[in-house]
Amino acid sequence: MFLSTKLAEGVTLHIRQTTQFKTVNFSIKWRRPLTMKDAAERAVLSNVLQHSNGKFKKSAEFRSYLDDLFGTVLYFDASKRGSEHTVVLNVETVNDQYLAQNKVFNEVLDLLNTVIFQPNFENDKFVSSIVEREKEMVIQRIHSIFDDKTRYAQHRLTQIIRPNHPASISANGTIDTVKAVTIDSLTEAYHSMINEDKIDIYVVGDIDVEAVQKKLTEALPFKDRAPKKVERNNVDSKPEKEYTKEQQEMKQGKLHIGYSTPVFFGDEDFPKMQIFNGVFGGYAHSKLFMNVRERESLAYYASSSYSSYYGLVFVVSGIEPANEKKATDVIAEQLEAIKNGEISDLELNQTKAMLTNQLKEALDLARGQIDIYDQYKDLDDQFSVELWKERWDKVTKEDVQKMASQVKLEAIYFLSGKEA
Amino acid sequence: MQTIEFKQLDETLYYKKLSNGLDVYILPKKGFSKTFVTFTTKYGSIDRTFVPIGESETITVPDGIAHFLEHKMFEKEHGDVFQEFSEAGASANAFTSFTRTAYLFSATDNIYKSTETLLNFVQEPYFTEQTVNKEKGIIGQEITMYDDQPDWRLYFGAIENMFHKHPVKIDIAGTIESIDKITAEHLYTCYNTFYHPSNMLLFVVGGIDPTEMMAFIEKNQNKKQFPEPTPIERHCEDEPKEVAIQERELKMDVQKPKVYVGLKALETNLSGEEMLKHELSVQIGLECLFGRASNFYTEVYENGLIDESFAYDFSLEKGYGFALIGSDSSQPDKLAELIKTQINNAESTFTEEKVERVKRKKIGFFLRALNSMEFIANQFTRYEFNDMNLFDAVPVIEKLTLKDIVEAFKTIQGESQQTVFKILPSSERKE
Repeated sequence: MFLSTKLAEGVTLHIRQTTQFKTVNFSIKWRRPLTMKDAAERAVLSNVLQHSNGKFKKSAEFRSYLDDLFGTVLYFDASKRGSEHTVVLNVETVNDQYLAQNKVFNEVLDLLNTVIFQPNFENDKFVSSIVEREKEMVIQRIHSIFDDKTRYAQHRLTQIIRPNHPASISANGTIDTVKAVTIDSLTEAYHSMINEDKIDIYVVGDIDVEAVQKKLTEALPFKDRAPKKVERNNVDSKPEKEYTKEQQEMKQGKLHIGYSTPVFFGDEDFPKMQIFNGVFGGYAHSKLFMNVRERESLAYYASSSYSSYYGLVFVVSGIEPANEKKATDVIAEQLEAIKNGEISDLELNQTKAMLTNQLKEALDLARGQIDIYDQYKDLDDQFSVELWKERWDKVTKEDVQKMASQVKLEAIYFLSGKEA
Repeated sequence: MQTIEFKQLDETLYYKKLSNGLDVYILPKKGFSKTFVTFTTKYGSIDRTFVPIGESETITVPDGIAHFLEHKMFEKEHGDVFQEFSEAGASANAFTSFTRTAYLFSATDNIYKSTETLLNFVQEPYFTEQTVNKEKGIIGQEITMYDDQPDWRLYFGAIENMFHKHPVKIDIAGTIESIDKITAEHLYTCYNTFYHPSNMLLFVVGGIDPTEMMAFIEKNQNKKQFPEPTPIERHCEDEPKEVAIQERELKMDVQKPKVYVGLKALETNLSGEEMLKHELSVQIGLECLFGRASNFYTEVYENGLIDESFAYDFSLEKGYGFALIGSDSSQPDKLAELIKTQINNAESTFTEEKVERVKRKKIGFFLRALNSMEFIANQFTRYEFNDMNLFDAVPVIEKLTLKDIVEAFKTIQGESQQTVFKILPSSERKE
């Protein structure tokens, strides 16, 4: 799918030439092991690097320049995957051929060098006023989870089910760790990100591969590095409590349930576990939707998700608070039904068709091509849709039943109004 | 079948009006495995007072009915339509807005089968008192979910402030009380009035052969009988120019206040290229005033008056229009004042240079958006329902002048058109 070349030790360039899109997409990913402190530093760093740089010291100047380049989109983001923290720089620019007279592509390549290698420093450090404002922005982002009851309930369940574990460490850090960031610690975090992180650089679009390889080698002079290998989930963490009920001023009840599974991303049983999740609650044909919503009219949404990097399955539903017990029972019945082998051919086939379709659809987006390849490239075999389709097709009812029998209820979290 | 070429964009659009009145548009996309299809009726939450087809008296139906109808279309005598889509590996969905109800799916295989499922399920209503009553619990939870979302309440609060009578002020899903009054008979009345093919548009975009697809759709439609199309009579009371309420607040369990300044649009009777030009001009004006490159943004950002939630937007349809500007802010009153000042002094902020820069940004936005099948299908339909063409946007932007922006902006600028709506934390919040 991508043509990969090594720019330096620990730095890989992946290019995909395609005429599918009217834009060219760049994505640069910096990775290191996930810790609370690093997450906070790197979340603030993402914001600070996006704000300004050595060439455009004021944010308004920088944004004006991007607008002039036909609204070239440029943003940094902090995220996590398993036990890794990622800082990503995404850039999307219009392919020159669709513009009446302008050439923006070369300018964008220069811009990559500017935003990465020429930070807005005063005396070799970041500027205090900018750092303080961006710390505040990240703190507000963390606070805002509180206003979105679904996100808040999921955040609480994750904290309860896996305390002090990568599953519950936010990619933005915590309010306290963000407050503790200083211009010195941030400058240090910048240097270690540039010089020590594992780096993957992606380019997708209608481009001249050799020319882009050459130009990027010049524009991105990353040095050799020996990134630490990230071990998966070696932290031992147990749920704090089996049942937690909390209250806020709200009308709906948010029922969030967490289960564990021994199957992780890339394991041999991983495709079976994906099918299990599809039969259980991943889609509109799944047992949760058909029973909690359609049969019992208990909810507008009732679904499950498989968090495969952490070996967790989550069920979420919004219900009338008085129906908590009934909803919990109906959800439990659905898992029980799968354990008992009550899986129809239709459910199995629908799930297989949906998984295949989802993967193919995602590959019709430049960002989807990058993210899927980025995720699957580290597995042993060459990634292809056909390979995964084949793996899903092989999954039997008995396999799904077996997956269900290994799924273990660990914690229930219920958030509801004060009078309930 | 007509073909419409957009040379600079490297796109060819295929169009045919079928004999039953249905508008069909097909946009083939080379190199894509996905196909996205939308089947949309020009019928949304604001269409609550109308003359039912074949009758002469105007009626008003319970609030939330267009959305309720959308839900009930998926249930048939033989079961749930989602099942059929899933079996074919297609993701189906639907949405109801103020002015449209859209049914859609995306898929990479079995495209014809799913297209047929889509056409058939939307054209075969099946409502019973029992299935209608069953849905009330589900939609009740959907309404409750939105009631708990501060950002949704902020959006609707600002709209409620702006309008005296226009039904855009009524929540799309209605209320628990209003949906309780809905019957199967209501649904049939609305369905028969608004789901005639002549009031609908089918858009297909993706990796398909346009000739074959058009023939397939036409064959499906020719098998069905529809009454002769008649014009739909919708009624809307006259809406005053000024806002209904200038300032209002609501308390909710939030960590930080939220504020929107709303601007009620005066020019709401345009269509076609005139409307396109006007809408784009107002959007470009807003971007000049409030975009990240603006002095305004720099000032409120540096003074800590906004955070990442800061946003601005302009919505325009036939009969109503409004702009919203706001953010989560620890100083909502101060921010609202600064926004209003910026609006009142807009002329001095608009310059040739800024307008040209924002035009370039906007062109880039459209070209990026044309990578998205969802954007193309949904936006093309919205534009077409207002006699505009999505693919004209870029050439229209290229021609806009400073004067166009200034003139268009005047229509949302007046002080009596401004409103402020705030959501304030209800109590001391615990960490």
